[in-house]
Amino acid sequence: MKKKLCTLLSGVLALSLGATLFGCGEGPGGGDEPTVDESGNTIIKIMVHVAQQSPEGMAYNRITDEFNASQTAKDNKIRVRVNYNPRSTTGTGYETELGNMLNQGTLPDIVTFDAPNTWSYAEAGILADVSELISEETQNDFFEISKNTYEGGLFGLPIQESSAGIYYNKAIFRNAGLLGRVENMTADNAWTVAEFEDICNSLKGRCDLPVDLQLYKAADETATYLLYPFILAQGGTFLSEDGMTATGYLNSPFTVAAFQKIRNWVDSGYTSYDASDVGFYTGKYAMYLSSGWSIPEIRNKYREQLGDDWGILPYPKGGANQAASATGSWSFGMTTQCRATEQAALVLEWLVSTESSVSITDATGMIPARQSAITVKNYTPGSPEFLLYDQLNKTGKTRPGTIAYPEFSSAFRGIVNDMRNSGNVSSIVSTKTTELQGNLDRYQR
Amino acid sequence: MVGISIAIIGAFLLLLGGFIVKDIVVAKRAANKYVHYTVRGTVTSYLMLLPALLLLCVFVFLPIVYSLGYAFTDYYLLRPGDMKFVGFDNFVQIFKNFSMHGNVYNATMNTLKFVVFVVPLQIGMALGLALLVNKPIRGMGVYKVFYFAPVVISLTVTSFLWVRILGGGDTGLLNSFLVQLGMDPVSFLYDPQGSMYWIIFISAWQGCGYQMLIFLSGLKGIDQTLYEAAELDGASKGRQFLAVTLPGIRSVLTFVIVTVFIGACKIMVQPMLMTGEQSFTITLNYLMYIEGYTYRWVGYSSAIALLMTIVIGAITFVQRYLLKEED
Repeated sequence: MKKKLCTLLSGVLALSLGATLFGCGEGPGGGDEPTVDESGNTIIKIMVHVAQQSPEGMAYNRITDEFNASQTAKDNKIRVRVNYNPRSTTGTGYETELGNMLNQGTLPDIVTFDAPNTWSYAEAGILADVSELISEETQNDFFEISKNTYEGGLFGLPIQESSAGIYYNKAIFRNAGLLGRVENMTADNAWTVAEFEDICNSLKGRCDLPVDLQLYKAADETATYLLYPFILAQGGTFLSEDGMTATGYLNSPFTVAAFQKIRNWVDSGYTSYDASDVGFYTGKYAMYLSSGWSIPEIRNKYREQLGDDWGILPYPKGGANQAASATGSWSFGMTTQCRATEQAALVLEWLVSTESSVSITDATGMIPARQSAITVKNYTPGSPEFLLYDQLNKTGKTRPGTIAYPEFSSAFRGIVNDMRNSGNVSSIVSTKTTELQGNLDRYQR
Repeated sequence: MVGISIAIIGAFLLLLGGFIVKDIVVAKRAANKYVHYTVRGTVTSYLMLLPALLLLCVFVFLPIVYSLGYAFTDYYLLRPGDMKFVGFDNFVQIFKNFSMHGNVYNATMNTLKFVVFVVPLQIGMALGLALLVNKPIRGMGVYKVFYFAPVVISLTVTSFLWVRILGGGDTGLLNSFLVQLGMDPVSFLYDPQGSMYWIIFISAWQGCGYQMLIFLSGLKGIDQTLYEAAELDGASKGRQFLAVTLPGIRSVLTFVIVTVFIGACKIMVQPMLMTGEQSFTITLNYLMYIEGYTYRWVGYSSAIALLMTIVIGAITFVQRYLLKEED
């Protein structure tokens, strides 16, 4: 009896496993028809890169709930469902998931993606060209530099913009007698690199560290995002226009000299790889290079330490008066596997609408990427947000466009990392350029 | 892709079917000689084995076959449809990168350094602890739990814990002590000469508790009269260790050496979480992850995996052969 039962159980187990394995052919997104719920509403699936409980996640939750309750949703029989798939800082789970979904044909209708990935996602067929689906009025309202374009097509629209600047502690500057030199600085009358160095030098000994450039953040994209404007402002270059050649660009004399300058700042004690990531927040450091996301951090968590006695300064201009500032944040894009493009386009317009932009940027502290939302926000000249917006408008430069962006970013971060332990910047840049060129060549084989 | 998977699973099932038929034939012939070796028993055994064999096929056999195949293609994660057979091109690129002292060279050297130091250190620590807790001292159970505790804590948690301890500036625990003592903070994790040694120490600390238990079970199996005899012969403690303990745990030691060696070759989490992608801590497994997931070149990444498998397999074979010879 026992033996028979064992045989029967084994058989059932084997059959069920076999059925599971061989039944995998048609994934959840299989077929060409859009998903429709029991009420006849077309389901538009969205995947975002943040946790639902994060301020940004809660903002997405709010605006999609508002959409589901809106007249637009009712008239067009649309229902939005959001999948929160948090992206880790060191890993690349979210991006890998997108690649796997593409291969399995299970991409959701709309996804969020980081701006530098536009080229590779468009080239790979993850993102669809939405230039014909989004109204011209909406398209024209976005800052030109913020749009996710590739080979003339529009592959996404930004949720927000992420201009960065140099935060400064007014009390430390005041005590050093330097406040007057920077207080009224704007994107138009930004300081030069020489003035930046002079101020750093004057701040030495008056605080724990003159400036934290977040050089320790070279394990992830942060370092590339924050530091590339320094290189561009000093005449440096990264890649050829088609994004496929690094030799002669990344190792150009200007690029090497610009990286060398960063290393010199470390040697001179202006900045440090071993800085504390809360040094500025706790009033120990005079300056801090960071993005708009530090604004809510200071106002909510570190109000007691800094109060309102802080501001943001623009990136310093290079020798030939060249100016550059960081741009590029996460965007919404429609995927090529979207099965209800017209309905998804309506949802996409809602997600990047003026109201949504205001709602999301209120939660994240970043600045909107469309003019009408900036008008609603009505930033006061002299405020940190106004400086970021003004700078984005006047000196914003994108990170290099290439389908091999992960490889480029890795090379850039590799240079920053290796400069920590070696003063031979030229050799470091040369090695990384050769390696990057090898990686770029793989795409052309 | 689904078609290939079905073909591979089909081949696996066919092979399995062959074994079943062979065993049934053997069972039929032997039916008269051995009462318990019957056709019915053979079929039942295979049916009971089937779920495990299918899981093995899907989660071990299938990925190995795929990885082996991908190593000879230019498979790019975002362009699976354009996958082409490229022969040994990936391997040529790997050797080129090695010769120009790129990431492959750094990863190989760092992995080598890690293996060379961590294997003796971890085994030494484990054996030392096992000898210590093997003594009949009151409360030794508490020590065993204490030494074993790091094993049950996840690698991620211990890695972040050590980052807090060894952190840069005056924010790390150790550095804050140094600063209190009037010394300059030390960049423990980002020193190209010293960083890997910290990772080696932390890995050995984390892993030795597990091997301690294995050694302990080996030590318990040694006949105590051998020690008494050795003592009567006037053997010192050191001599007893070499002449009684080591031969007594030889088979356990072989197992531990092989498993620690293989585990060490696969080091990835600690450098990834503690230093990120650094030329002085990147390892082969970490490089494989970067190439396959960050850069999305699955073919190239699979080629690294294949080379690693060949090298680890060969060294393990030699290790087993040498240790067996001594038996």
